[in-house]
Amino acid sequence: MASFNTISEDNQLTNFMQRIEAGEKIEADDWMPEDYRQTLIKLISMHGMSEIMGALPEKEWVPKAPSLYRKLGIMAKVQDEMGHGQLLLRVTEDLLKPYNKNRADLMQDLFNGDLKFHNVFHMETKTWADAGIIGWLVDGAAIITQTDMLKASYGPYARALQRICAEEVFHAQHGESIIMALAEGTDQQKAMIQEALNRWWEPLLMFFGPASKETTGSSKQDLTIKYKIRTKTNEEFRQIFFDKYIPRIISLGLTIPDPTLRYDKDSNLWTYQQPDWNEFKKIIKNQGQRSEARLNLRRHSYEYNSWVRDALSANIS
Amino acid sequence: MNDSVMSPEYTDAVKNLLFQLADDDFMYSFRGSEWLGLAPHIEADIAYSSISQDTMGHAAMYYTLLENLGAGNADDLAHSRPASDRRNSILTERVNGSGYYLETPHYDWAYAVTRSYFYTQAKKVKIDSLCESSYKPLAEVAVKVRMELYYHRLHWETWFKQLMSSTDVAKKKMNEAIALVVADFGDVFSYGTQKEAIESNGLIGSEEALQEKWKMNIEPLLTSLQVQMPKIPDQPVKNGRNGEHTNDLEEGLTTLSEVYKFESAAVW
Amino acid sequence: MSNEKTFYHEYEIFSKRTPSSAFQHQFSLLAPNEEMALIMAQENFMRREPVADIWIVNRKHIKRMNAEEKLTLGRLENKEYRTTKGYGYLKKKWRQYEQEMLDEKEILSWGGERK
Repeated sequence: MASFNTISEDNQLTNFMQRIEAGEKIEADDWMPEDYRQTLIKLISMHGMSEIMGALPEKEWVPKAPSLYRKLGIMAKVQDEMGHGQLLLRVTEDLLKPYNKNRADLMQDLFNGDLKFHNVFHMETKTWADAGIIGWLVDGAAIITQTDMLKASYGPYARALQRICAEEVFHAQHGESIIMALAEGTDQQKAMIQEALNRWWEPLLMFFGPASKETTGSSKQDLTIKYKIRTKTNEEFRQIFFDKYIPRIISLGLTIPDPTLRYDKDSNLWTYQQPDWNEFKKIIKNQGQRSEARLNLRRHSYEYNSWVRDALSANIS
Repeated sequence: MNDSVMSPEYTDAVKNLLFQLADDDFMYSFRGSEWLGLAPHIEADIAYSSISQDTMGHAAMYYTLLENLGAGNADDLAHSRPASDRRNSILTERVNGSGYYLETPHYDWAYAVTRSYFYTQAKKVKIDSLCESSYKPLAEVAVKVRMELYYHRLHWETWFKQLMSSTDVAKKKMNEAIALVVADFGDVFSYGTQKEAIESNGLIGSEEALQEKWKMNIEPLLTSLQVQMPKIPDQPVKNGRNGEHTNDLEEGLTTLSEVYKFESAAVW
Repeated sequence: MSNEKTFYHEYEIFSKRTPSSAFQHQFSLLAPNEEMALIMAQENFMRREPVADIWIVNRKHIKRMNAEEKLTLGRLENKEYRTTKGYGYLKKKWRQYEQEMLDEKEILSWGGERK
């Protein structure tokens, strides 16, 4: 150990960057620069809490799902979201060791508003079609950002994402199946998806974050690319989402609520109406439609049964 | 017995029993699904959901047997029947605690654990007996269900045991939950007005025998935890097997069938 | 709240897919004790795959390697004498004696019935 302690911070950083450049995986116990750790904690804790909070809007439709098979499918799907939260919080918790923080602290950070969750999970769900749109398009969007990080330099995160992405394939198909039944259904059912799409289109654009930090004043994308946690920018993700999903949405006879949307052959890019980024800033500060209600539900359920955690802690000597 | 050689009386008895089994697991699972995302620990939440899913899978198998007997489509049976047609026990329809699941409900983990532990033990006794049922398709389903019950029992027994041997707060909550669960246990082993038909046709063991077996099965654990053996009410205030239900069922059915009933012609 | 530090013990979960396969590391979970960890393990990490056995290991019982210890894992690639690679010339030799070489593939196929 002594020999390592004598290595200067500069040398450690050089070694570290060499490992990153060589495509090596960094593990929880390895030396890492503070901003790498901080970037990971911020990214992965937000990802994890977004799963935990993201379980709630879909859960609203779990008891109401309209057949035995749909009830089972959506239970399994929401269970997976909690499962993804579990994996990601475990990864975060190990990164928090030097600060002597654990899951209880992460929950408090969420309740205090210090730990954010994705804009889409602050939105209201109004009909069963929302459950379909979430599975199909929100999970579709998530797959795009998550698969990009499958080779992330941080080993534990990459391994958690391997598990997550494998399940996301089921999620996407679960969503497609709900949407397909509605798209081939009655006029009311068709109207139901169109309304849901209209509601979710702007949140979906926001999901990938602003194109640059000039838009909202903060963006972590530069550091995550430098440290080979991800490879693409927010805008590149959004364009991939357009490529994959716009043709499919249109093929089902749905209308995308953006008359300016078009594909530019010269630049190979989609041009589109920017979402209201001021609204986005408000949402991620927990001022969205359902932010307070869902945080309140999470906080209450956590505290109301805190006696369970206390009870079983008491048995540990 | 096979479907082809069954007398109308026998078929009716089978259907009656199947409705009791199906509705029990369906409502138990529905209450479990309301818990999803709200358990006191993330890892525990995930495990609990698997049990709710397994149980709804069991309900679906019973509804399918009913469908095969011409009782109607399985989804209709699960979603469309009014409370008065339901044959589940009162215990399985009870809410998880006060408050609607979409607002900020006060779901009680002690009640979830106790209801689940007692219910699963009762289910185990019934399933063991059903494996010998004179109605072969039901016996075959029971053999399948039994495979998943090993885990359900271990899961709830572990929770029950650990909370019961922990803090005073936990013990108090658990004892309160036991009182609530036991008060509703009067119709769990009842076949209602169908007792004679169900028992005499050898579809499943008698009410008395199964209840006795259940007591024997839980007694060692309860004794070791210094919990008094529950005194099951002789006459239930309401007997779910006869279609007598609480308002909890009414409200639950409204929720679980809201989308299903949204448009009668629709396929979901 | 005060007790939660002790509720969250870290357990590493290992499982076997089939009775004949080797244990494989899955992931870690938080639980207050081994029994609780056991009833949560399968449904947290193996919801869609067969499981024949599970091991629960409290992380504090794992001896890990630090960065310096990991340096002890390096070695040169000059150890052909340990592997069949160092004896490949035998194939040609046996051919001179009009015999097939008993290579790895051949030898590992001997477990079954006499052919």
